[in-house]
Amino acid sequence: MAVFMDLSIQSVEKKKLESIIETAAHLGYSAVAVNHVANFEKETKKEIAKPLCHEELFEGALPIVQGTTKPVKIVTRLTIVASDPSHCTEMRTTSQRTKLYDVVSVFPKTEKLFHTACLNLDVDLICINVTEKQPFYFKRAAVNAAISRGIYFELVYTPAIRDSTMRRYTISNALALMQSCKGKNIIISSGAEKPLELRGPYDIANLGLLFGLSEAGAKAAVSTNCRAVILHGATRKTAFGVIYTMPRDEQEDKRETTAPASKRSRTEAV
Amino acid sequence: MWETLKKCPRHLLVCEKSSFKSTNSRHSIHVQQHYFNYRVSVLIPECSALPQKLDSIVKDFGSYYLVKDVPLHKLVCEEFITTFLSKGSFYALSCSTRIDQDNAAALLPTGKLIISVDKDTYEELGLEGQSSRYSHKTPMRYVISMDLTASSFAPGGNRYKRVMWALAEKKPLKFDFLMAWNPSDDRRANLISYFSAYQLKEYQPSVAIKTLKDIECPVLQSSDLRATSAESCDAQEFFDWQGVVFNEIESENDSGNFLSTYCCPDPNIVVDQATLCTITGFILPEKIHLLLESLCHYFTEPKLTPWAVLAVHGFADSPVTWREDEHGFHKGGENLYSFVVFRNHDYWLQMAVGANDGCPP
Repeated sequence: MAVFMDLSIQSVEKKKLESIIETAAHLGYSAVAVNHVANFEKETKKEIAKPLCHEELFEGALPIVQGTTKPVKIVTRLTIVASDPSHCTEMRTTSQRTKLYDVVSVFPKTEKLFHTACLNLDVDLICINVTEKQPFYFKRAAVNAAISRGIYFELVYTPAIRDSTMRRYTISNALALMQSCKGKNIIISSGAEKPLELRGPYDIANLGLLFGLSEAGAKAAVSTNCRAVILHGATRKTAFGVIYTMPRDEQEDKRETTAPASKRSRTEAV
Repeated sequence: MWETLKKCPRHLLVCEKSSFKSTNSRHSIHVQQHYFNYRVSVLIPECSALPQKLDSIVKDFGSYYLVKDVPLHKLVCEEFITTFLSKGSFYALSCSTRIDQDNAAALLPTGKLIISVDKDTYEELGLEGQSSRYSHKTPMRYVISMDLTASSFAPGGNRYKRVMWALAEKKPLKFDFLMAWNPSDDRRANLISYFSAYQLKEYQPSVAIKTLKDIECPVLQSSDLRATSAESCDAQEFFDWQGVVFNEIESENDSGNFLSTYCCPDPNIVVDQATLCTITGFILPEKIHLLLESLCHYFTEPKLTPWAVLAVHGFADSPVTWREDEHGFHKGGENLYSFVVFRNHDYWLQMAVGANDGCPP
């Protein structure tokens, strides 16, 4: 099994975010993703903000995960809420802004966008609405296409903690998703805005049983599948998942040379 | 779907009965093969204080050490094998590692090193191992085991060089180890001096002795595991009752108690007092064996109580349970056994494991 991860912690102000991450580390999560939401539903042409640099948090001294001696790992995630495929040109090409994030996800509000996201868009996660009755059905063809592309479906559990009506919608939408995807490629994450809304990983694995997952599948939804999502996001920065580039050391360029640029040797040993 | 929700993760309880006087009694083998023990509890009804002999054994359990940041190749190198492994039993278990998430390592007294690694570490390490028996769809955990005392592992040979290269250069693995050393002769190699380069601390197992008053004890018949007559409790009910007593849970079944509605199984008798002794730490099977023999000798003189219990819990994050059976952690990592010792030198042995475990031997 992989380590436990929570891939959806809402990006709130610094102190609150620090306390949420500290609670997550105390509960046993080894990695968390800080989620920045870009709402394209109402306003088009909105700028996607830059991700929060996690070195700023905790001044570099990250909290240790309970039960181990390693610090918690923080990754950045972008969620684009949209209802029309034309809003999502950001994801089709390698946009400058989405490149800065480790995980990119889309929250489709319409069936057309859900279908496009499963088949075409360059995302890692598709968020499933849990706060209201699903306006469209999950087509098995689209879901299977997404699974074959390595895209995962995300279910959030904090709305279920906050309100009892949302609890019903969460379970009914989750069961509808299970019928289409047969329990594959699902992750369960918190979407927490406060430390009290987080729950321990084994409890979430039990919640997965309510959603219709098997024992091992529910535990994988909080561990193995989350690891797969992060790896899928990492391959976006590579060529076919095999070659990756890293910036060259800048100090080499600052060396003083007497010869003008045109006469300097073109090939340099890297 | 509601049928599946009623089921809880599977667990196994194996109960067997035998006698200490029987020649093919396997009690010492069972104790010896459960290498890593975290807690030992002894319950003696109708007894106000721990008997003299048991008390002296409990006070002299030997110390264990916590050594931080030990690179794994230190337990594989030639110097270690000749200093410790050939001269006694050395037990080492990685500490603060979770068996279902992180890498873990254990050195068994038979000289076998078991390393349980996750997929990424396995692919980087380059040593041959088997995929875990408790994987879901794709194997995410691998178990590498190597026999350090085998002739194929002689220092200077190809296998030894490969292992040293993998552990020292390719992917150096470091763990905090709990260690204990049981030398077979008097010339003790000193563990403290060997690991002096690392942060080492010595610990003694913590002992807690408590006298319980007015507890209900089930009536048992040593020949009858399943309680075919209504005059005694069956082994499974008794096992549950042991858990209640060792964890000091209330079993009154008060109407106002929201935590526990447990009742002692019938038939039972109320006992004035009982002694409960709990020892926690990194405990060696040799000491548990001494304790068991002493408990057996307790009944050579006539005693009021018909039985006494010795229960041993293993570590939840240990890579192995009995012998080299792989241990997994699904939602709980229990692997424990208990001996119920009867007045007539019969005993019941109950072994329990959790979801991701094989059947105990």
